[in-house]
Amino acid sequence: MSDGLDRLVDDIARESRTRAEEIRKTGLAQIEDRLAGARAEATREADQITRNLRTECDAVVNRRVSQEKQKARLAYLAEKNRILSDVMKDVQARLLEFCRNDSSYRPFLLKSIAQGIDAIPSDRVKVALSEKDIRRYKGTKLLADALSTMHTTKTAVLSDEPVETTGGAVVTSEDGKVRVDCTLEARLELMKPQLLAEISKILFLS
Amino acid sequence: MLDQTNKEISELKRDVPNKITSMRQDILQKATKRRESALAEAERTGVEEAKRIALESKKQLESISQIPSAKRRQAVDRAIELLLS
Repeated sequence: MSDGLDRLVDDIARESRTRAEEIRKTGLAQIEDRLAGARAEATREADQITRNLRTECDAVVNRRVSQEKQKARLAYLAEKNRILSDVMKDVQARLLEFCRNDSSYRPFLLKSIAQGIDAIPSDRVKVALSEKDIRRYKGTKLLADALSTMHTTKTAVLSDEPVETTGGAVVTSEDGKVRVDCTLEARLELMKPQLLAEISKILFLS
Repeated sequence: MLDQTNKEISELKRDVPNKITSMRQDILQKATKRRESALAEAERTGVEEAKRIALESKKQLESISQIPSAKRRQAVDRAIELLLS
């Protein structure tokens, strides 16, 4: 009788342990599932944070590099412009010297006057010079010499009105409607792009 | 025994949201830290590279600033030649 009862108690206890073990296993599995799901979701979000990291890092480096390159390029251009501007000042100073020397300046002036007269579609023209040149060449054969180089029937008179220039001439039709600027300043302005390119080639390409 | 087990499991389940929050924070914090650290490294690389470019630029500027006077004279001569031709 006692043995039978003991066995029954043992059976009930065993069954309870088995059931408790099942409950524990099921519960723990559910917990593990939830944790695994949450881990996977968090990992996905973490991947999202680092997904474009390589591109972002490259962008950070490139931003710094391109900023500095731009700065360097601007500094280089500014320095180049400063040098070119200095050289152009030297050119202007040299032109002043050139205009002081009558033996080299007079042929240039004759050519400038002839070019101006040739460009004016009028038989009678006025030639304006700088104040200094008026003083220097008034009463000389300057205009006659210029006309003689052209084999033309045009006539030219020297204007009493001086022009602001280092050298060269401004030629106008008699009625003043057509004007041709053959001064050194006009030539300098006209040829500036070509001059700067040529100077740059000599100074910076080697 | 069964009550005891049910109780234990219930307690474990009650703690799951906290565990999830903590685990999630941990994972996201690590990713954020990795990102920040990589970006900081990239910034350092960028700064280094920028310094190198600045140095090169300085040398280049020094080099064009020291144009020999003969070359400068040659440039002026050529400009005058073109102007007066």
